Amino acid sequence: MSPRYGARLGVLRVAVVVMLGVLLGRLWYLQISGQGAYQEAAIANSVRQVVVPGERGRILDAAGRPLVANRSALVVTVDRIALQRQPDSGRAVLRRLARVLHVRYDELRRRTTLCGPGAEPPCWNGSPYQPIPVAERADAAVALAIEERAEDFPGVSVEVSSVRDYPRPAGALAAHLLGYVAPISSAELARLPRARQDLRRNDVVGRAGLEQSYQPVLAGRDGVRRVAVDAVGAVTGTVDETPPSPGDDLVTSIDARVQRVLEDALGRGIGKARARGEPATTAAGVVLDARTGHVVAMASYPAYRPEVFVGGISTVDYRAVTDPAADVPLLNRAVQGEYAPGSSFKPISVSGVVTEGTASFDGRYSCPGSVTLGDRVFRNFEGTALGTLDLHTALVKSCDTVFYGFAQHDWYADEARIRHGDQPAEAAQRMARAYGLGSDTGVDLPAESSGQIDDRASKLERWQRYLRPNACAGAKRRAVGDPLRRLDRENCVDGWRFRLGDQANFDIGQGTVLVTPLQLAAAYAALVNGGTVYSPRVGKTVMAPDGHVVRRLSCPVRGRLPVPAQVRKDIVSALYDVPRWGTAAGAFAGFPLDRIHVGGKTGTAQAGIDAKHDTSWFASFAGRPGEQPQFVTVVAIPKGGQGARAAAPAVRAVWAGIYGVGKQRAAIPRLLRRSQ
Amino acid sequence: MSTLADGLLAVSGRQSLRQRTLERDSAVRRFDWLLLGSALVLCAVGALLIWSATRGAAAVRGTSPTAYLRRDVVNIGVGALLGAVVALAGSRALRRVAPWVYALACLGLVVVLTPLGSTINGSHSWIVLGGGVEVQPAEIAKVALVLGMALLLGEWRATPDRPGHLEVIVVLLLAGLPLGLVLLQPDLGTSLVFIFVVIGVLVVSGAPRRWVAGLVLAGAIGCVGVAQLHLLQDYQIQRFTAFVHPGADPRGFGYNATQARITVGSGGVFGTGLFQGPQTNGRFVPEQRTDFIFTVAGEELGFAGGATIILLLGLVLWRGLRIAARAPDPFGAMVAAGVVCWFAFQTFENIGMTVGIMPITGLPLPFLSYGGSAMFANLVAVGMLESVALSSPR
Repeated sequence: MSPRYGARLGVLRVAVVVMLGVLLGRLWYLQISGQGAYQEAAIANSVRQVVVPGERGRILDAAGRPLVANRSALVVTVDRIALQRQPDSGRAVLRRLARVLHVRYDELRRRTTLCGPGAEPPCWNGSPYQPIPVAERADAAVALAIEERAEDFPGVSVEVSSVRDYPRPAGALAAHLLGYVAPISSAELARLPRARQDLRRNDVVGRAGLEQSYQPVLAGRDGVRRVAVDAVGAVTGTVDETPPSPGDDLVTSIDARVQRVLEDALGRGIGKARARGEPATTAAGVVLDARTGHVVAMASYPAYRPEVFVGGISTVDYRAVTDPAADVPLLNRAVQGEYAPGSSFKPISVSGVVTEGTASFDGRYSCPGSVTLGDRVFRNFEGTALGTLDLHTALVKSCDTVFYGFAQHDWYADEARIRHGDQPAEAAQRMARAYGLGSDTGVDLPAESSGQIDDRASKLERWQRYLRPNACAGAKRRAVGDPLRRLDRENCVDGWRFRLGDQANFDIGQGTVLVTPLQLAAAYAALVNGGTVYSPRVGKTVMAPDGHVVRRLSCPVRGRLPVPAQVRKDIVSALYDVPRWGTAAGAFAGFPLDRIHVGGKTGTAQAGIDAKHDTSWFASFAGRPGEQPQFVTVVAIPKGGQGARAAAPAVRAVWAGIYGVGKQRAAIPRLLRRSQ
Repeated sequence: MSTLADGLLAVSGRQSLRQRTLERDSAVRRFDWLLLGSALVLCAVGALLIWSATRGAAAVRGTSPTAYLRRDVVNIGVGALLGAVVALAGSRALRRVAPWVYALACLGLVVVLTPLGSTINGSHSWIVLGGGVEVQPAEIAKVALVLGMALLLGEWRATPDRPGHLEVIVVLLLAGLPLGLVLLQPDLGTSLVFIFVVIGVLVVSGAPRRWVAGLVLAGAIGCVGVAQLHLLQDYQIQRFTAFVHPGADPRGFGYNATQARITVGSGGVFGTGLFQGPQTNGRFVPEQRTDFIFTVAGEELGFAGGATIILLLGLVLWRGLRIAARAPDPFGAMVAAGVVCWFAFQTFENIGMTVGIMPITGLPLPFLSYGGSAMFANLVAVGMLESVALSSPR
């Protein structure tokens, strides 16, 4: 015992006790006071959420043939975190990967850089924890090369993911109808609750067509798998898993074979029109089930290959499908194209004048070559005079001057009402609206155009908003003597007036009347189905993946035509004569009209300075003889020339395809046999 | 057995072994069993923790999951043998070999700086002897420093009670040589151990207070100066930055500190259970089997396990202090005090950096960290304490 060291050892003793005390205190602080936070940090460290996408539902035609399905694609992904744990921040791995994928290292590096200040596109906009897809369409050899040498590619994995596939049953493309899917945008993400954003970053969303309007139905519910990972990001096991559930299938009323027939008819119609020297480059067509309002086929020309959108569209492809010089192939002209209907509008005018009592199918009217209304001469089509005729013949032969007479009557009556301080009746406009024109049909397709039905109020409004500012400025700017200066001055002062000429043009579907092919088809369907104006539907049934029906989609009724049954019957009976001895007789020469009862109305709408820009229309219906028509087909070919020459033959081809004429097999078999 | 031995001894007419063993002044009673016991328990716990920390990586590499466990057990065995030899040799033998140990350690430290040395983890601290045997001369140097100082301050001093200025200067020169060599490696952790041992032993020896205060001051100025003069390696500055600002770069140089803290913190009261720690199994903590072995205890054994380890280390230190207090001569007291300073600082620094109250330096945790040289040195140090204990009167 050396007591003399006792006191000095005391210093050491105190130091030791203090040191151990500090350690114990700190340990208590970390493990007992702060335990929760550190446990969370440990979980965040070692548990990654992996989104397991739920497969998107398919889109089927009426017979169950898939128009859009899914197929597996091999996607190469890179985990940023695992890359960064590499001694060289993953540079060597990316270089090796670039060699295997046959892309440039720079491109790969950019794609795996988080977007932010200084990051060049295409940078990664998604969650830093989500593996970044770097090759969406990898082939099996590449996948094998990566999987076999996993130790050379830490953080790189090949995943099987599901992408859209277009089987084209019966050769039907239906690109516009189907639409496409694209990755969720950052704006859409921003609208989601913050907690869900990370999980939704890899979502695809319907961007057009049925994919867009049925997004909630088609989208699968994503599953979440929580996996344990080690320090280099390698998965060591699954912590828990919410399995994904696939989206529902959408069964449409589209008949793939009719769709193919319509698409071919449009393409051939354009070809023939161009062969005649017409400048036609676009076309649109719709086939409706007249009795239910469902869409059987819908096509727009030019079309595009929907495959260009799979796995993200390239800039070049996107420019191509939106190129105005190529007529913007992405546009669905059947619902987004607005054209003046020309004479195909006449059944609607007739509905108005006969219902109002202005005219009658028993009356006889003169059809001169031209009529002078106010200070303007309105010519009959190509100036033909047909003498005196009844309304039936006026429709069959499409006499314009008869309708000018009705327009004159209506217009003067309305002007008188205005002078007496009453509201104008504008009966023709009202009838057009009752047919569903001038407003959205409400079809289950996005971005529909609503067309235009002009009356005094709407013309005034348009003048105030657009015409007056432009015209008045033009009148000031233009030199004296410029012929347009007079026009501008007139519009500046008087452009709001709804003139007699406006009403005359309206009654024959010219001028400011604009309709979409779908609107006109729905109007004709109402005419022939007993007067029900439907909001057309492409979707028919929502079907769960196990095949049970979740929901049936019927077409909502927009309204009933305020047209007496007899009047509708008289109009329809006139339209049945159009292909027989009327304006479409040439187009339907040799067609078995006795077997397939076809009616319709041609339209040649002036859309520009000369006949070269006329929109060619044929609105038609067909069915078994002696029965209500089954289908309505409308085809519009802008710059296609006369309705009888471009659109009517195209519609004939559709009917021939649906019912089977000559050697052609019926697209819908037994349509005609069932009645016998 | 004992009956037979008793019988034989009884026949020989001497005291029975049992009686002699139990005699108040016997070697068996003077031997510090509590010290040995706690040291061996710590070694055993360390072996388990090393096993837990290395299983996962072995499974990934396809090597044996018990490879490190087995090597650690061998290290413990060899270390215990060395310790036993030292303990039984007695403090007289220690005095005799002290100069040789000192010379050997300095030679080793010089050799390390030549191309014969190897760099591991940024520190040029190893001599690879081949056949998987690597020696860390810095560990031998700790033994050498303790013995050297004890020899100087306990034996060769002029004044009987307190060392004079001359002794202090000689001690500083003696400590300065290995300290300088270690700093050249550079091994900041070991140099700090040296400084702490020098100051601690000087305090206990009763060196003039002015010297002690001066040394503490010089140490502080030295630390600032080293940093100012950019004598530190980048990684050392980064480690220090990570200590001051742990969030500065959690995936870069702050990674160790952050992960160590998360791992310990997530353990809670009783931990996840041995082999059950997600952080350990996911190998999130670098150098876990060596410098960061305490994180395994923190995560898998929780506060209960971590505190037990600290208390066991405290037990070792307490026994060391007790042996120092009862030492029969200044040499023994200085040896014991030196070992206590060494263990105390290394424990504080190692666990301290693990729980984020000390900057990260590469120091092993006595008895627990994996590593042959350190294990041998630790157990030899226990042997040194025992040899002092054996020479002490009851």
